Amino acid sequence: MKSRFHTVFVLSLLLTCSAFGAAEPGGNGDSIQDMQCGGACHGDASINETSSAILSLSSPETIYVGIPTTLTLTATNLETSSTRLIGLFLLTDTTGHSDTPQDAGWEVLSDANGGAVNYLEQTLTPGQNETSISWVIRASTLGSTTFYAAIHHGGGDSSPFFGTTATGFEVSVEPVPENLPRLAADFTPPTLRTLDSPTELNIQTQFTDSIQFEWKSEDGLISNALVNSTGDNSWRTTIPAALQPTTVQWRVILEGEGPEQTTPWFTLAAEESSWEVSENAVYLQAFALLFMIAGIVITLQIRFTSTSTPSKYDETPLILEELALTDAQPPSQELAPPPLPATGLPTDWTKAQWDAYGHDYLAGKYGGGQV
Amino acid sequence: MISSETLHVVTTELVVGAFSVAGLSFTLCLLLHLGILKQPSWTSVFDHVAHFTLAFGLVATPFAILSGLSSAPGEGLNSPILVNKMFLSMTGFGFALGCLISRWRLGGKVWSTTKSVVLHSSSGLAAVGSMLLTASAGGTFTRGESLLDIFHLPYEQVLLFPVLVSVIGLLLGATMLVLSWKRMNSSSTVH
Repeated sequence: MKSRFHTVFVLSLLLTCSAFGAAEPGGNGDSIQDMQCGGACHGDASINETSSAILSLSSPETIYVGIPTTLTLTATNLETSSTRLIGLFLLTDTTGHSDTPQDAGWEVLSDANGGAVNYLEQTLTPGQNETSISWVIRASTLGSTTFYAAIHHGGGDSSPFFGTTATGFEVSVEPVPENLPRLAADFTPPTLRTLDSPTELNIQTQFTDSIQFEWKSEDGLISNALVNSTGDNSWRTTIPAALQPTTVQWRVILEGEGPEQTTPWFTLAAEESSWEVSENAVYLQAFALLFMIAGIVITLQIRFTSTSTPSKYDETPLILEELALTDAQPPSQELAPPPLPATGLPTDWTKAQWDAYGHDYLAGKYGGGQV
Repeated sequence: MISSETLHVVTTELVVGAFSVAGLSFTLCLLLHLGILKQPSWTSVFDHVAHFTLAFGLVATPFAILSGLSSAPGEGLNSPILVNKMFLSMTGFGFALGCLISRWRLGGKVWSTTKSVVLHSSSGLAAVGSMLLTASAGGTFTRGESLLDIFHLPYEQVLLFPVLVSVIGLLLGATMLVLSWKRMNSSSTVH
């Protein structure tokens, strides 16, 4: 009864622990994710509580096919856990499966954190209860698309929270006017650069006679950079080096026969140069560890079990076994019982005693002797 | 087509699950053979469970390593955590391989003496520990947190030997394996 109680108690404790570990308070990192990470971020979607956050999406009035545009998400009335971490999704459906902008034929060119993904995480400052982030996206086909935004975060207790936009935000993609100055359809802006070195940007355009390049740092100060033409609709400019991991945003103003166009702000994050190591040395050491450890374990195991392992030439156990058998036999059994004396059994002796010790009696050990 | 990220999740779950059961079984084997746990009927059961799950985890380990390398962002080993994951997983692989070969070639004699019992259980548990540390490093790499963060393990530090030392270690290890294999085979001819 007591052991059953212990079993039930332990199982209950484990089940309770699973609820504590349902969410990931440290976040998942920016990535391409379906709604609620397809159910993987907060464990079972049924354990989510409804977030009080109010989400709204906005975009420019006109969106052309093949031309980057900005979609902005504004989140207000935010309440988070002590980590103040929130995760924001840009979606084209709310099924939790194949509902990213990419699934609907849109390309995410740039996000607010310096990547090109639809799920972003942000840490709010103390007291901050609203935020706004933007994605630069590009449509590949005409027609309308309904966008949704979603949020998940922690709360006061261990429960995870989830919320989504009340209604979808519909955008219509129109055909691009003829001769409109624009970025080349296959131009993909860089999202990362390394620290301590200036960044050279090569920009390809269409129907453009000249461009102006603007960039702004995190404090919002806008600067201009000199642009050189490197060919027809091809331009080159340089952004000064970053001395610490920060982001800058840049855009170009395009001039040509058509109306002047301004691109969205593209985000460019600076990060430390990647860590490098000789891969051959790593693989060699890894296999050396494998062989060394396996070899040591087996060698020691043989050594420690060898005391009970008979050698091919060691016949000690056989000899010991024979000796044991020899010792186990009573001495009296080696010889046949002596014949009874003519006077019969000695006084007070039994037949069994005579059989066992008769030889000793005849040898005079007990006061008798061979007559 | 399954992405390498998904395949890595599947294989690591197989490895960690199998090795966890092996760890529990080796602990019980140790307690049983040292007489701390007095349930002789369990001995054979946990002996078999420990080695079967260890072998299963060992089979899944190369798939986890390869899918992990291909699913890591960027090119190749571009993070010290990835390098430590490689070292830890190969260390665990070595412990598990040594443990399984010993049990295979020496049979039940690995449980014959106290020293042998302690060594065999320890090598099995070391394999489990290495794999769990590998999984913890993976959590730190992808999510920035892990259950073992309470120990403040130095995943960002890499102990990389000079190539010559690695080559010598590799040759020594291979030699030990070959000699041990021959010795185990020669002792088994008695039977």
